[in-house]
Amino acid sequence: MNILIVEDEKTLALEMAVFLGKEGYTIEHAWKKATAEEKIFVNNYDFILLDLGLPDGDGLTLLNGLKQLPGREDAVIVLTARGEVNDRINGLEAGADDYLTKPFSLTELLARIHAITRRKHKLEKNEVSIHNFLLDIGNHKVSFNDQRINLTNKEFEIFNYLVLNKNRIISRVNLTEHVWGDILEVNSDSNFVDVHVKNLRKKLSAHSPIEWFETVRSIGYRINVPEK
Amino acid sequence: MKLQFKLALYNTLTKMAVIAILGVLVLVSINRISVNHIRQRLLQKKTRLITNLSGVELENLLTNKTFTDYNLLREEYIVVRELKIDEQPVKRKFSQEQRSIEDNNEAFQILVTSFSYKGKKYRLELGEAMTTVDQLERTISIFTLAVMVAAVILSLMADLAFTRLLLSPFYQIIDRKLNKVNDPVNFNYGLIKTSTTDFKVLDQSISTLMQRITTLFLTEKEFIANISHELLTPISILNTRLENLLNDEQLSTEGENKIFASLKTLARLKGLINSLLLISRVENRQYDKPDVISVRQTVADVHEELEHRLPMMNLHFGTAIHEDHHFQGNRSLFHTLLANLVSNAIKYNKPGGTVSITSHSSSGQYMLIVSDTGMGMDKEAIENAFVRFEKLGSEKEDSHGLGLAIVRSIAAFHGIEINMQSEKGTGTTVTINFKLSTPVPSS
Repeated sequence: MNILIVEDEKTLALEMAVFLGKEGYTIEHAWKKATAEEKIFVNNYDFILLDLGLPDGDGLTLLNGLKQLPGREDAVIVLTARGEVNDRINGLEAGADDYLTKPFSLTELLARIHAITRRKHKLEKNEVSIHNFLLDIGNHKVSFNDQRINLTNKEFEIFNYLVLNKNRIISRVNLTEHVWGDILEVNSDSNFVDVHVKNLRKKLSAHSPIEWFETVRSIGYRINVPEK
Repeated sequence: MKLQFKLALYNTLTKMAVIAILGVLVLVSINRISVNHIRQRLLQKKTRLITNLSGVELENLLTNKTFTDYNLLREEYIVVRELKIDEQPVKRKFSQEQRSIEDNNEAFQILVTSFSYKGKKYRLELGEAMTTVDQLERTISIFTLAVMVAAVILSLMADLAFTRLLLSPFYQIIDRKLNKVNDPVNFNYGLIKTSTTDFKVLDQSISTLMQRITTLFLTEKEFIANISHELLTPISILNTRLENLLNDEQLSTEGENKIFASLKTLARLKGLINSLLLISRVENRQYDKPDVISVRQTVADVHEELEHRLPMMNLHFGTAIHEDHHFQGNRSLFHTLLANLVSNAIKYNKPGGTVSITSHSSSGQYMLIVSDTGMGMDKEAIENAFVRFEKLGSEKEDSHGLGLAIVRSIAAFHGIEINMQSEKGTGTTVTINFKLSTPVPSS
C-alpha cells in the first residue's frame, strides 16, 4: 500500500516514513501544498497523511480539491498541531477519514491506518490469529479453539492494540491514550491500565499459557510472536 | 463608611460647631453688655439719689432699712445706713450677689458706695435684679439650640441629597468600570456622564489603564497559544524519533528503558502544553456554548469514563443525582471540568475509600457536590489549590498541577461557582454551584 505524507516538518515526515516503511508501506513525500497537489492529481494513494498547516496554504483546501476528483478512494488522515475543535470538525466534514493531533504516537497512527483499511476495504477475513487465539476485529470478539472468551470492550481494545503492535513494547501511557483517548490530566497517571491488563491476562490464561504476553517492568507490555 | 455620609457628617459637625461657638459668644457678650448697662443705670440712680436727697427721704431710707416700695416686681432696692466709726468708706464697688428681699431670693447686681450728708457719712447699697438678663440668656440659648437642630437636620438632608447627586458618577464608575469587569477584553470604554472634572479624569485613567491591561492580557494569551503550538511540533518529532529507535533490534534493555522514560517525559510535556492551551483558549473565549447540558448525563458519562480507575485502589464510586439541571454551555468543557474533579477525588483518595457525587437544589441555586474520603488538604493548600502548577504537596510526580486551574477557568467561562472544603486526613468536598438566574428549560 502506498502512502503520501504531506508534511512540511521534514524530520517528522522522515521519521513517519521510516516507521511505516518497516511496516511494509511505500512512502512518498510532499513538503508543500503545491507539490502535494501535483502528486495527488497524478497518482492514487491508499493513504494521505495531511498536515493542515502547510507553508503555502491550508491543508483543508487540498482536501477539498481531492474530494472534487472523480473516482478517488484515497483515505485521508488529517494531522495537525492546532488541535482546535473546529479543525477537527472541519477536517472530518471535508471528508477526512480520521484525525490525529500532534504529537501522536506512531503506533497509534498505525492503528488508525489499520482501522481505516478494514473499514474501507471491508476485508472478508477480518481476523487475526495469535498463538491460537483468534481475534475477530470486526465484531470485537476473541475465541480460543472456537471457544468464545468474554472480554470487555476495553480489554478487547487493549488486546487488539498489543497484537497489532506485536513484538513492540507498548508503554502504559501509549496504551491508555489509545484505549481511553487523550483525557487531560488523566493520561498522566496511567497505572490503572494494569488492572485491566491483569483481568485480560487472567481470561486468556484460563485457556492456554500466555508466556508470550509479556509485562515489561515499569514500562508496559509486549506480545511476542516469533518472526517466521 | 461611605464617602457620601462622611461628607455629610463632616458638614453637619462643622455647622454645629460654628453655631455652638456663635451661641456661646452671643451669650457671653449679652451677659457682659447687660451687666454693663445695669451698672451704668445703678451709677445714674446713685447720682440722682444723692443729688436729690433730702433729709426726710434719708430718714425714710434709714428707718425702712430696705427701700423697695416703688417697684412692685422687687427688681430694685436701696439700703442706706450710717457708716460705723471704724468702717472705711467705699468709693464705688460693684458685685453680683444673692439677696433676699421680702422672701424673694434672687441674684442682684449691687453697687456699694458712701456719701456724706450734712456732715455724716453714709453707706449706700443699690441693687438691681438680674432676672431680665437671665431670661434673655435663656431665650437666646433656646433659640440657638433650635436653630442648631433645624440647621443640622436641614443641612444633613441637603448634604446627603447633594453628595449623592455629586458622587453618583463616581459610584457608577466604580460599579461599571471596576466591580463588574470580569474580563478586560469585554471592557466597556464608554465614558460616564459627569460635570465633575475629577471624575472625568478618574474615568479616563481607568479606561487608559484597562487598555494597557487588555493589551498585556491579550499579548500574554497569544504568547501562550503560540508557544504551546510551536512546542507541539518538536515534541512530535522527538516522539516519533524515539519510537523509531525502539525498533532497533540491537537496542539494549537499558537503552530501551531510557527511551521509554523519555517518552513518558514527553507525554507529560504534551499534557502540560495541552492543558495550558486549553486554559488559554477557554480564557480567550475561543469556545462556544452551543449545548444544553444535562448535569445528570454528564455525571453518568464521567462515572463511566473513570470507572476503570476504581479497582486499582479498591474505591467505591457512588452518584445520587435526585434532580437534574440543564444549562447552556459547552458539553465537552463541562465534561472536562467534572472529570478533572472526579479524577482528583480518585487520585488523592485512600485505598478502599469513597468518591461520591450528589446533587442539592434549594431556592435559587443548584449544587453538584463531589466529595471524597481522601487525604484532604489544610487551609493553605485550599487557598492555593486553584493556582496553576500548585500540586497540593502531592508526591505524584505525574501530576502537572493544572487540573484545578482548568476547572477554575471552565467554571468561570460558564459562570459556575466552585467552592472547596477540606480537612487534612478526612477528605475533600468540592461544591459546584449553578446560579439559577437564567434557567434553560429542559427539552
